[in-house]
Amino acid sequence: MDVLALLNEKVFLGQEFLTWLWYVAEEEGSVQLEDGRLVDVLLGERLVLGPMQGQEGTRVTVKGREASLAEARQGLRRGKLVEGLRLGLTLDGEEYWLNLEAAELAPKALKMPPTAPGQGGPEGLEGLVLERISLVDGALRGLEGLLLVYRPENRGRRPPGRSSSRSPERAPGGWRCPGPGGR
Amino acid sequence: MGLIKGSLSLSRYQVKGDTPPDFWDFVDRRIRANLFLDIEGSTEEQAVGWVSAHDYLDTGFAYASYALDPYVVLSLRLDRRRVPAALLKKYHRLEITKALALREGRGLSRAEREDLKEKVRLDLLRRIPPGTQVFEVCWDTRRGEVWLGSAARAVRDLFEDLFRRTFDLVPWPRIPYLLAGDLLGQGALGQRLEAARPLSLYQGED
Repeated sequence: MDVLALLNEKVFLGQEFLTWLWYVAEEEGSVQLEDGRLVDVLLGERLVLGPMQGQEGTRVTVKGREASLAEARQGLRRGKLVEGLRLGLTLDGEEYWLNLEAAELAPKALKMPPTAPGQGGPEGLEGLVLERISLVDGALRGLEGLLLVYRPENRGRRPPGRSSSRSPERAPGGWRCPGPGGR
Repeated sequence: MGLIKGSLSLSRYQVKGDTPPDFWDFVDRRIRANLFLDIEGSTEEQAVGWVSAHDYLDTGFAYASYALDPYVVLSLRLDRRRVPAALLKKYHRLEITKALALREGRGLSRAEREDLKEKVRLDLLRRIPPGTQVFEVCWDTRRGEVWLGSAARAVRDLFEDLFRRTFDLVPWPRIPYLLAGDLLGQGALGQRLEAARPLSLYQGED
């Protein structure tokens, strides 16, 4: 199967993962990774919801303020999922802000912690580049750690804006298999 | 991309394929065989190749400056020149006027007009300096992962082609499904991922 076909068939994985991240940011605030480290998750001022895979519909783009989040929650109740958001991650004392899109999970507009002023000359430049690479790597591994936590064992959590009485039996929170009781 | 300063946007790839035992010699040979070649003063419309990540005018890579073991850090330089349609039209008309004056009223055939247009286009191309864009590339050779400092589709296509031509290795985009598959492995969790289907969160509100 080529990449484009996989992208089309499995785009929901990214959508559900981002929806789960929204839930974590609003309801829990932090996640313990498998290696024991704690990641603080914050929602930035950008949230885009769109129709779930295979369905047609409009997108909802909101800024991350309480007033407009109501619109996003409404979209969620209508079956929309998160297509993109701005996220803050704090890991090992370092704070990152990044935009994520469901199709790729590759950071955009990644703002990293400040680095120490570089020394002059090629060696100073190399040191600076290596430090920045290490920071990028930290953000990517943190993101992958979150992706690993997002697994079947963590099912049953509710996405933001849902009351418990109306929550679906299975809320975002894991690599699911189709089974009795719905998709 | 912002590896040196500023914020950055990444496209991520997994590198598929075997690398030779003399890896760093291989990398050096291949990079030098695919350096950026300047098109200043020519009529070429586009050039793509590797330059130093620190200075896009540097294609010498003194002391293998791309090698920050285990990383290969360099930049893709893209130079492109375009003749604006309005400019081409203006100079084409001027050339037609000149040609008609020499012919004392005899008209120009369609082929002659097209030849004049191409001559004008090449002349303008020679006079228009190319615009330069630079995109940082970082290859983590330990993990087999490459970061490209752009999310634009056109740039990604150019990068994927240049990387493949340079190293005979295929860069696969790390879409969530492939990324999760790599993280989960071939076991039971990997099989669950394979079988995963979209979850409906619809709560009946229109």
